[in-house]
Amino acid sequence: MKSLAKFKKSIRPLNAFYLVGLMLVFVLFVSMGIRKAQAGADHDQMMKKHMMKMVMMLQKLAPYRGYLDAHKGEKKPLGLLGGPITVKMTQKTGGVFVSLPDFRRLDSNVLGTPKMPRAFGGTPGINGVPLVLRGVKDGHYTVLKKKVPFADKSIVMADGKLMLKAVDATATDGARSDDSVHMMASWKDKAGNTYSVKCCKMLAVHGAEFPTFGGVVTNHILHGSSRIGTALMPTEYTYFAFWGMGAVMKNGKVMAKPRLIHGMLTEYVRTKGYKLAFDDEVTPTRLQFHLMIPPMMPNMKEGRFEHSAVHTGFKLPNGMELPFWHVMFENLDIQGKRGG
Amino acid sequence: MSTMSRIIGLRGYFFLFLLMMGLLVPLIISTPGYSNGDSTPSRAPDAVVTLTDMLTFDPYDVVIRAGQTVEWKNGSVLVHTVTADPGLAANKKDIALPEGAKPFNSGNMEPGGVFSHKFTVPGTYKYFCIPHEGASMVGVVTVKPAAHR
Repeated sequence: MKSLAKFKKSIRPLNAFYLVGLMLVFVLFVSMGIRKAQAGADHDQMMKKHMMKMVMMLQKLAPYRGYLDAHKGEKKPLGLLGGPITVKMTQKTGGVFVSLPDFRRLDSNVLGTPKMPRAFGGTPGINGVPLVLRGVKDGHYTVLKKKVPFADKSIVMADGKLMLKAVDATATDGARSDDSVHMMASWKDKAGNTYSVKCCKMLAVHGAEFPTFGGVVTNHILHGSSRIGTALMPTEYTYFAFWGMGAVMKNGKVMAKPRLIHGMLTEYVRTKGYKLAFDDEVTPTRLQFHLMIPPMMPNMKEGRFEHSAVHTGFKLPNGMELPFWHVMFENLDIQGKRGG
Repeated sequence: MSTMSRIIGLRGYFFLFLLMMGLLVPLIISTPGYSNGDSTPSRAPDAVVTLTDMLTFDPYDVVIRAGQTVEWKNGSVLVHTVTADPGLAANKKDIALPEGAKPFNSGNMEPGGVFSHKFTVPGTYKYFCIPHEGASMVGVVTVKPAAHR
């Protein structure tokens, strides 16, 4: 007992030493953890700032900036040569295809090669394709590193309906336009929910980064190498297209308004398995109508686009909401004529 | 006894019955057996092909004998066609007709729609769906000569 008490007395300073040591180690680990978290947050912040800086630089490189600067203030833009064109289009029965987020395979016809890259200027997703997002292998571009609305994955949804009347009267971008679009489109999911889009409360009479031709354009080439619209879609002859603002609905209830809405009637750009074609795979004599509500909104004051997910109300299998609509209608009755 | 019975009598009723049968039976026989199809007699098809949401004809290739009938059923929510007409093809590689065979086209087949065609000329037929030809929606029917008894 005496020896035990003696032993305990002898190790009291050691206990204190160990205790202080343990406390110091604890404080060291905690501060290291805090510093690591801080460094991580700093790194994320730095990366975010770097990305924003890169996007702003790319936006300044949008190829049509000069053209738009010359046209967007024009109060009396030119009318269409030969007079206005009216387009009417309907789909009364049959389903539609709905694109899902996926990694786009990269077409060298449009994007070039790592040694000679093309089509990088402009807001990513709306116009150009940044070099940092392009996968590279053996000196060629492979696949985009980010999921986008323009790729191979899609689903079929039932009961597609489309009613559209568009007039192309104004030829160029300007401060005003005589173009018009009246459109109502809808489709249903397996549960019977109806998704619909109505357009256009107003048209994009001039573009933010590429021409919109007064809001409606006919008989043109869009996307791909044209640099009008995203370069991730193939270069495609377009019978008519429009850009405007409208509403996105689910079961008649407005989910998002106003949203940027883009529609186009083009040659067929899908291949086997409904994969998105490259330029040399397009079928020239078949038509399809694309309806796009992109996860972007224009900032007309600053002349650029900003990311903004669409509140579609459609749940993907992973539980996330589909942040855009990219819908294809292919059972079309189309009429076009000169005149209003 | 009613006035009618007195006038016509039992034999009269019998002849009336024969007259009605004579009018109705040909009418029943002439009613087509398929909706959306050609005027093939109503009997079970020799092969059935389903049109799918995946933009395929399932099965891709069916083998029958001359004189037999293939039936296509639209099992998808999309509108499709069954078309073997060179004048309607966007790409010549998607269509093939043996010499002497006539082109055929179902027209738009709504979801649930049915189309049938009787093949009389042996050979290989390649056909496609008009709106989805670009997505390679093609199928094949191989027609062997009729079996000799």
